[in-house]
Amino acid sequence: MNDRLGLGWRPPLASGILTHQHRVDVIEIIADDYFDASRRELARLKTLAAQIPVVLHGVSLGMASAAPVDAKRLDRMARLVEAIEPEYWSEHLAFVRGGGTEIGHLAAPPRTAATIAGTLKNLETATAIVGSKPLVENIASLIDPPGSTLGEAEWVATILRESNCSMLFDLHNVYANAVNFGFEVQTYFETLPVEHIKALHLAGGRWVRSREYPESRRLLDDHLHQVPLPVFDLLREVGKQVPHPLTVILERDGNFPEIRVLLDELEQARTTLKQGRESGLLRPLKV
Amino acid sequence: MNGENLEAFLARLYVDENLRERFLANPQAEAERAGLSSEESAALTQIDRVGLELAADSFARKRLYKELHARPQTFLERIKAVLRKF
Repeated sequence: MNDRLGLGWRPPLASGILTHQHRVDVIEIIADDYFDASRRELARLKTLAAQIPVVLHGVSLGMASAAPVDAKRLDRMARLVEAIEPEYWSEHLAFVRGGGTEIGHLAAPPRTAATIAGTLKNLETATAIVGSKPLVENIASLIDPPGSTLGEAEWVATILRESNCSMLFDLHNVYANAVNFGFEVQTYFETLPVEHIKALHLAGGRWVRSREYPESRRLLDDHLHQVPLPVFDLLREVGKQVPHPLTVILERDGNFPEIRVLLDELEQARTTLKQGRESGLLRPLKV
Repeated sequence: MNGENLEAFLARLYVDENLRERFLANPQAEAERAGLSSEESAALTQIDRVGLELAADSFARKRLYKELHARPQTFLERIKAVLRKF
């Protein structure tokens, strides 16, 4: 089984990754950081892509929306994909703007038939403009999206089946939503069509407490902390249930430890996935 | 529900603190004022208030971060960015 494990490409990690290329199978580049790249920067990215397998990850297209995705943004993604020739590109099942207001980050849309229809149309447009289907990623949310008529797993599974897109399954995002909104990670995973899962994200987060309701707290997916144990448990389960090779990316956006710490965490993920491949779930999931 | 109006309202709700205050005082009235359907307005009366507060905070931090780390777009912005370094 040729699973590949790698890191999110961030400037502070660049020299560490390049120095330890033998321990990093693949890197994931944030596409939006290079939408306005100069020719020189693009040339550097091409050189990088010639040295190590590269995948591109979008964060601002706002694909999961009843509103049409912005074709100009898709053009920029298309140009980057054409220049870098990544193994795949991906985007979130999120909306990031509405009625001219930029939210500034990924927001969970109301999970309804209307947002499924809009998302399917947007994925079709994106595929036509970029020239390949994106992998689509489940997002973490601090708010249970108002106006939803469907559960998250059902909503995501429907989009996957009807778009025939592959999934970038973010294990910390589903873990955070499970603890925040009280569902079982295992049930969520069982609802997904596993044949669509092609890549995984691993990350960590922290608890944030409400000022207005101090007894209430939520798990924030901040990419600034170590991957928690329940996420490794889920990784093992995914290794057991998904029969084909996976690309696994460890995401870290700040609070960077020494590169050896991240490489050890990546190695822990490699071992855990292998355990899942070889022997299945070692202990029941508890979320 | 057509979806787009609700998303537009949610986007404003996450970003605009004054709207959020008015909304939390009277969700139904504020939703109706925004032209949302009765079904959408009713759904918003059940909003996850803890989530709204925490999500709005998180989005505000992200916007601030982006503002501080924005890539200069125009020639003038690039010059200013270079000058800021000195």
